[in-house]
Amino acid sequence: MNKNSILKRWGRGIIKNKKASFGIYFVSSLIGLSIFGPLFTLDPTAFLGTPLSPPSLEHFFGTNGQGQDVLSQTIAGARQTLLVAFTTGFFVVLVGAFIGGAAGYYGGKIDDFLSLIINVFLVMPGLPLMVILASWLPPGPLTLAGVLILTGWAWNARVIRSQMMSLKGRDFVLAAIISGESNTRIIFVEIMPRMLSLLASSFIGASIYAIGAQVGLEFLGLGDVSTVSWGTNLYWASNDLALLTGSWWTFVPTGLSIALISFSLTLINFGIDEVTNPRLISERNWKKQLPDNTLNNGVTPVVRKNG
Amino acid sequence: MLKIILISLSIFSIGCETKKERKEERALTIYQENTASWVRNFNPLSTSGTARWPTSCGIYEPLFIYNSMQGEYIPWLCTDYKWEDNNKTLIMYVRENVLWSDKTPFSSEDIAFTFNLKKKHKGLDTRDSWSYLKSVKALNKTTVEFKFSRIYVPGFDAIVGQPIVAKHIWEKIKDPIRFSNPNPVGTGPFTEILRFDNQVWELGKNPNYWQPNKPEVKKLKFPAFPSNEQVTLALISGDLDWAGAFIPAIDRVYAKKNPEFHKYWFSETGHTTFFYTNTMNKVLKDSKIRKAISYAIDRSLVVKVGMYNYTEPAHVTGISGKMAKWHPKDIETKENWVKYNPILSNQIFDDAGYYKNKNGFREDKNGDPLSFDIIVVSGWSDWIRSAQVISQNLKKVGIKAKVKTYDFGAWMSRMQKGEFDMAIGWAEKGTNPFPLYRGMMSSRYIKPIGKDADANWHRFSTAEVDSLLLQFEKTSDKYVIKDILHKLQNIFIDYAPAIPLFAEVSWGECNTTYFTNFPSKKNPYAPLSPNSQLENLMVLVNVKVR
Amino acid sequence: MSNSIRYLTRRLGFYSIAAWAALTLNFFIPRLMPGDPAAIIFARFRGKLTPEAMVALRETFGLTDGPLLIQYFSYIKSMFKGDLGVSIAYFPEPVANIISTGLLWTIFLAGTSLVISFIIGTLLGAIISWKRGGRLDSFLPPFLAFIGAFPYFWLAMLSLYIFGFKLEWFPLRHAYSDDVTVGLNIPFIFSSIYHAILPATTMVLVSLGGWMLSMRNTMITTLGSDYITLARAKGLSSWIVMLKYAARNAILPNFTGFGMALGFVLSGALLTEIIFSYPGQGYLLLQAVRSQDFPLMQGLFMTITLAVLAANWFVDIAILFLDPRTRK
Repeated sequence: MNKNSILKRWGRGIIKNKKASFGIYFVSSLIGLSIFGPLFTLDPTAFLGTPLSPPSLEHFFGTNGQGQDVLSQTIAGARQTLLVAFTTGFFVVLVGAFIGGAAGYYGGKIDDFLSLIINVFLVMPGLPLMVILASWLPPGPLTLAGVLILTGWAWNARVIRSQMMSLKGRDFVLAAIISGESNTRIIFVEIMPRMLSLLASSFIGASIYAIGAQVGLEFLGLGDVSTVSWGTNLYWASNDLALLTGSWWTFVPTGLSIALISFSLTLINFGIDEVTNPRLISERNWKKQLPDNTLNNGVTPVVRKNG
Repeated sequence: MLKIILISLSIFSIGCETKKERKEERALTIYQENTASWVRNFNPLSTSGTARWPTSCGIYEPLFIYNSMQGEYIPWLCTDYKWEDNNKTLIMYVRENVLWSDKTPFSSEDIAFTFNLKKKHKGLDTRDSWSYLKSVKALNKTTVEFKFSRIYVPGFDAIVGQPIVAKHIWEKIKDPIRFSNPNPVGTGPFTEILRFDNQVWELGKNPNYWQPNKPEVKKLKFPAFPSNEQVTLALISGDLDWAGAFIPAIDRVYAKKNPEFHKYWFSETGHTTFFYTNTMNKVLKDSKIRKAISYAIDRSLVVKVGMYNYTEPAHVTGISGKMAKWHPKDIETKENWVKYNPILSNQIFDDAGYYKNKNGFREDKNGDPLSFDIIVVSGWSDWIRSAQVISQNLKKVGIKAKVKTYDFGAWMSRMQKGEFDMAIGWAEKGTNPFPLYRGMMSSRYIKPIGKDADANWHRFSTAEVDSLLLQFEKTSDKYVIKDILHKLQNIFIDYAPAIPLFAEVSWGECNTTYFTNFPSKKNPYAPLSPNSQLENLMVLVNVKVR
Repeated sequence: MSNSIRYLTRRLGFYSIAAWAALTLNFFIPRLMPGDPAAIIFARFRGKLTPEAMVALRETFGLTDGPLLIQYFSYIKSMFKGDLGVSIAYFPEPVANIISTGLLWTIFLAGTSLVISFIIGTLLGAIISWKRGGRLDSFLPPFLAFIGAFPYFWLAMLSLYIFGFKLEWFPLRHAYSDDVTVGLNIPFIFSSIYHAILPATTMVLVSLGGWMLSMRNTMITTLGSDYITLARAKGLSSWIVMLKYAARNAILPNFTGFGMALGFVLSGALLTEIIFSYPGQGYLLLQAVRSQDFPLMQGLFMTITLAVLAANWFVDIAILFLDPRTRK
């Protein structure tokens, strides 16, 4: 079986999958908005109107406690938040793939040592560590990303390690080893493409984690509150007692944006899971694709993966 | 799950009934400290400020209280004082018929003991009193003699403000620095700990208090609040009677919800919040440039955006409100460089040779743009907002100033080491402007860049000021004092060592549903804010039950 | 059985190494950071203390400036003795006392919500996997994923405002009401439960989806195995097959996850605790960090880490009993 055909099939599956395509559509439009949006909106840091004025034609989402435009702040906030989230997601997967991959591929002493490190980081309580680190390093997106990567990579490394171990035993790897291919080539050319769905879903999972943790840290005032991001928007909203003053518009748009993007990312992950493991599909039309009434037996159909 | 809900709803109904407490049982409920759980500590001598709030303004009492609203010293555990021996000896006359809450009589011995304890344990001497004191002795039951090793009249404030502890208790304590004093014996109006749980504690009145028929309040209650939001919720829902929290849009959020009972008074302390410019910086060392920066700042916008209009733009001398009585008579004729004047600001920069480049930013002679960082403590939102406004103001006159927030510790360390360009910060406070100008302009605090300076972070000094400060330390003559303070203000205006931003106010809210006679603008017997340290004693003694 | 003991000992060995790593990290982080506690305490007075106070403050709080290595060994020694030192922000209270004021409340609040969320989530997961493709299965996962996508402090603030402040159904703050006496009595217990409902619900809501989904997915894989088909063929009722055969095996991965989460409970409720003024560990940690209270911070980090390790070890033991394969 050819690895390119897996990729193609997989790609087609993702696009066909309703959840995944909704997620991809939403996430990419939000990314587009965060890149091009600020060109069309007002300066998010300028003190423009009467503080805490409700949504109007002039300010679609109203103004915050300092008279800044909430719509511009929400759009500008997406930029930094998503940048940090995806950077974190990327590096978490990168570090995880390197350490977990090496541990799983080489096994033996190397595995023992790397697994120990992975496991130590896994049991280290991340949140307090994050709070402690974030409060002392100079606040800003770089610190946030660094702290999130440090506390988040181990989980992925573990998952990638076990996947690597199972793939390593497969025939195609043995064949490659016998034909004298170098380890690096085997890892990057033979194995990694077959792990693409795992890497993709790890990336998305880590990005979701990064959004949540980042917003939480910034809400505590541990980010750079003089910049505009979703976390600092919520920090200022709470600082200006958004709910008590009844100014929900300073609070709700950012919260909803966070929820929607995390939700869309989760949907993409649902999709990836379903495509790689079709048994997990929950859509109702699944029944029609089955020849018999296996479902009624309570027995799960197993679709053999290309023999 | 459903069961739990039902049970709890039934408790809730019980809870509702107990909510309608009878008035005479209501404890005066106070918020002053931000915490999620209480730690039992009533050590009034502790350096760390970790004792519970009423420790030095309810349980223990000082010799005199400086009333910042009236500008006078109110006799408390002492009734009178006099300077002798050319200001090298201070005699205190001790109040009679005062009892400790365990009924032991209070006397001059307790005062002498307290000061000598601070001598023995350097870690207790927060005000560094023993750097100018030689001895403290009880001459008889009602007089204490303070002998000075050098003439230092400003030390008076530290001496009279010292909370006094009981000799018969504290002489048995081996390590008073690490003593948490869980069951305090004091002379104050409230001394009995009725309960102490991690989220609420109560303090009952002293049955033997020396002021007749006072206090009228039977007990104080302190629920733990970790955030301003929670304090505001509690104030609105009537769970708090007295608080000192920063509340945004207070009229709308609090006062207008119940105008008859919901009161607040953000009184001016007379002090100022400053914009510091590091005088070791090659551009900012020029006083003309510092003034140009000051002219560029739109203080009314700073006050509106950063401070919700709760305060006023600063006076050019850095003192205002009740402190304004120290201003020289001809103050109006001096250069008022705190007035917003961007045109003048631009002109000064041009005259100094810092011209705008094609991007609109000013450059020095080498073509390097003028660019500064404004450092602010992260989490101190009012100052961060103010810094953001200043940054935008400075941009308009062609100066790049970027707001950078640092954690408390990192910020403090940068300030002390002088590793900053610009910053927003507080200044030294006192009963008169002497500590302010000493902190601003005395050479004694100056350390090289990279070494910790305890004050004068911007590192400004002139010989003129040093000699004036020395004269001030040696005199108790009112006219000489006034004259020196006038001169100091004139020097401050000439050199602009730091840039005054806005007058400092202290937050105070009260709910008069159950209690009355809180201080107010009409009845300013003390500041309303519970953050007023010793002055809060006057409030606790005078609040009445409705 | 000797195999199981060897297994558990090996795990214990690993946890000791992890504990040592955490201890070491814990020692070095604060020492690499700027600022000193005396200055922080001075700064807290915002100018109300004279600069001269620094002398006294350094006298009280001055950190011992020995060589780092010697400091390190004396630190390890005192940690082994259980001496966590004296707090700076709450001076002179011993760190152990301060931590103990909040520890039980955090365990109660976060522990309860974790257990509730785990049980409901796992059950839901088992049920929807059984009726795969059914109405619940197509609705619940995306719905709970959507709820879970909200930042939990955001939901907490909103629910505090709506159900606490506007509707007055639940208390606005604290772990128990002020008019009950702390102790083992009925009003106190009820009051604590009542106060925990709102914060716990928000925590359960956002975490429910995760448990459910992972249970569903393993369950579906398990349901495909031969022994389930065999059990069905024997004519056992669906409930017995579902719970006794399938769920019992499918729960193992979830159970491992539970072990991890149990430890994180001690820190995870941080924001919820702050929003509901809950007297737990969360605010303490923030306070410690803000006032650079090294001893308190180290104590908190240490308790949390040890709790995570202990929880994981217990899960190891439990899995040993649940999963016969590990005993081989």
